[in-house]
Amino acid sequence: MTDIYGAAPAVEEPEDKAVYADYVDGTDPVMHRVSLELSRSHLNIIMPDGERILWPLDEVRALKDQAYSDGVVLAQGFDDMARLKVDNPFVAKELRAVAPRLNRAQPVTNWGRIGAWASGAVASVALIIFVLVPIMADQLATYLPPEGEQALGDATFEQIRGALGRENAAVRLCEDSDGLAAIDAMVDRLAPDDDLPYPVRIAVLDHELVNAFALPGGRVILFRGLIDEAENPEEVASILAHEIGHVVNRDPTRDALRSAGSIGVLGLLFGDFAGGTVVLMLANQLINAKYSQAAETGADDYAHDLMRDAGLDPAALGTIFQRLMDEYGDAEGIAAHFASHPQMIRRIESAQAASEGGEYGLPVITEAQWQDMRSMCGDSHAEQDAPEDDENGGGRIERRVDEPDAGRGGGTLGGEN
Amino acid sequence: MPARIGKPAGGAANPDGDNNIRTPDATMAFADLTTDYKGAKGAIFRLALATGIRTVLTAGFYRFWMKTRMRRYYWSAIRPGGMPLEYVGRPTEKLLGFLTAVVFLAFYIGIVNLILMFFSFSLFEGNTPAYAVSVVGITPLIFFAQYRARRYVLARTRWRGIRFGLEPGVAGFVWRSLLHWGLTVLTAGLYWPVKTYWLEKYRTDRTFYGEQRMHQGGSWRMLIKPMLHLYLSAALLAGTIGMLIATEDPRFAPLIFIAVPWFFFGLAAWKAGSFRALTNTKTIGEARLKASPRTGRIVGIYAGGWAAMGGIFIAAGIGVSILFGIIFAATGFALENIDEDGYLTTLGNLPAFVPILFGIITYFAIFIFWGVLKEVFITLPVAQHFAETTEIENPQALLGIKQRARDEFAEAEGFADALPLGDAF
Repeated sequence: MTDIYGAAPAVEEPEDKAVYADYVDGTDPVMHRVSLELSRSHLNIIMPDGERILWPLDEVRALKDQAYSDGVVLAQGFDDMARLKVDNPFVAKELRAVAPRLNRAQPVTNWGRIGAWASGAVASVALIIFVLVPIMADQLATYLPPEGEQALGDATFEQIRGALGRENAAVRLCEDSDGLAAIDAMVDRLAPDDDLPYPVRIAVLDHELVNAFALPGGRVILFRGLIDEAENPEEVASILAHEIGHVVNRDPTRDALRSAGSIGVLGLLFGDFAGGTVVLMLANQLINAKYSQAAETGADDYAHDLMRDAGLDPAALGTIFQRLMDEYGDAEGIAAHFASHPQMIRRIESAQAASEGGEYGLPVITEAQWQDMRSMCGDSHAEQDAPEDDENGGGRIERRVDEPDAGRGGGTLGGEN
Repeated sequence: MPARIGKPAGGAANPDGDNNIRTPDATMAFADLTTDYKGAKGAIFRLALATGIRTVLTAGFYRFWMKTRMRRYYWSAIRPGGMPLEYVGRPTEKLLGFLTAVVFLAFYIGIVNLILMFFSFSLFEGNTPAYAVSVVGITPLIFFAQYRARRYVLARTRWRGIRFGLEPGVAGFVWRSLLHWGLTVLTAGLYWPVKTYWLEKYRTDRTFYGEQRMHQGGSWRMLIKPMLHLYLSAALLAGTIGMLIATEDPRFAPLIFIAVPWFFFGLAAWKAGSFRALTNTKTIGEARLKASPRTGRIVGIYAGGWAAMGGIFIAAGIGVSILFGIIFAATGFALENIDEDGYLTTLGNLPAFVPILFGIITYFAIFIFWGVLKEVFITLPVAQHFAETTEIENPQALLGIKQRARDEFAEAEGFADALPLGDAF
């Protein structure tokens, strides 16, 4: 008996030594010491009692990803439970050479079922994220007691001040009383009180960002950079009217509730693999963008009406947007889908459309009040324009506003995007 | 079919190629079966790296394949009595189970979280209670997922061609887990060994090898001793911090430097001691298990492993810094070229996406490499030590065991996949 023989022209017979392996038959844990022979088409497994088990060579497969890769563990097809363990590296190598389909992968027969469940999963996640959660968030937002919203807004406000500050110092609040009086006068002129669920509280932060946003509970934040950027008080008033629109629509609160629902669901999908958090945040941003673009348009519309009713030209919102777009550009292409705000050009057009046919008289505040507002953060900053570093191409990124915390801030002005 | 001529004599004809020398007609050695370990650092490094990269590139969906392939490797490395364990789970069944779980969990997590958040804002004016309640609400699901995942993994594990299995019984496991974990929290951890014993007993007593039920003997008292170092070091740590706060006397501070390393030693002692105590009292019919892992070895693996990982990361950090140094030197680095936001203006002529892309690649590279190195320097050596110190006594008692039927279990470990359980296997 030879250890391994084939049908090729016979050569000198090697020494007559048997090749052994360990065999289990899949019915009990008895390990059989078997000897192996190879025919033209079959692997012969010879049991200790002489019984021969024949495995067709083209059905023999090797288990994959095995730790002891010098040896091999063999099976016949994919349903048979028997296993043959060959630890001898030379024999394993020999067998690898003669079995033609040793490394084939198990065919997947249930793609249809997987596809059905995948569609089901996608549909149910989509239903929850795009329909159920937003509807519930919209409904629940109107039932929240104002105290709850205010507490949420206050917490977020402090987080934002801390995040924008430097070296452990939160961003300074501009609390010059004349400036605050000017802002109050501006709000009085806009007279949004009939629409508001609770009083609006405006704060000015000493920071060069050209931005403003609304937080839950009626908090509106203006940045010094925005007041510097504005050429007249009507432009600031138009931004303020826009943010008040968010407060009236309770957009920040809806955002917070919606994120609470959808982030957990998205977490399910991506699991906790390395870096899943980034994918999660991107997906959440994409979903939020759709809703927040609608919210921005709603706030713009509200601002137009509020301005007109106060006898102010809504086109002011368009002129400040136009300047921002000239300086920082607009989000286009793929970026536009991730942007939390509608494209600038459309917002400018609709502001101009809202302006038509109206008659506008008095300025929103007096020139003296406007000067008070411009200097409320101290004179040192007033002269200093926003850094003009667009030419290095990095300008847009450096100046991009971090979304205050995935949806909790809600309703930024979005001058950057 | 190109059947080949026989091998020359020598290697191929050596029947003693493995280390369990038996005569051809002996079906099983009658001595205790020791366990060989064939896992190798290089192989697991390559496998973990290749599958980790694919997982990132597919936004996480390759993870079912990654998990399957890693398990195949780890299972096959463990060879009790010379025969490797076999993991026969399939990636597509994990994918299917995951999709099933998503359908159910998405509803629960989305809607329930939203409602909790609402009540949290309305009643408590903050979101912390919502997160707390949400965690508590998901706890039963986690125990559910744990038991189901154990059932799936055992049903897909074979040794000597015979399947393992876990009896259905998830409801009992969930309420026991809630009870025992609740008591553990209430007793500030004192109850830990009791909880460990009873939950292990619940699972072991429902575990089968073929048609033979396993049994967890012993009692919770045997886990007190492995826990002693943890108890004492935690008490010392708590006492020291208490004294520091109460007396504000800095002379107590050095005790911290005794308590913290002692605590880590205690963790290793618990890992080795609890495994030894629980394994030595497990029986499979008349066959018994015996384990003798050593605390010192566990300490050595963790200390050496963390040192190696830290060293590699520091070396990589230095390498990257040198590379950047060269780039900066070539592009004219100077302090005045950094603007107030920390951006290097001399690199300003690069398109904006270059630094972003670089940042993303670095971020994922760190994640992947950390995971891969942990497999290489921690998971594999620990598995090796536990495997090599475990043996089967009276193995001939296993010979009469019969195969058990396949547990179809379509949901696989979907719930465990969807919930962040953070389990190794």
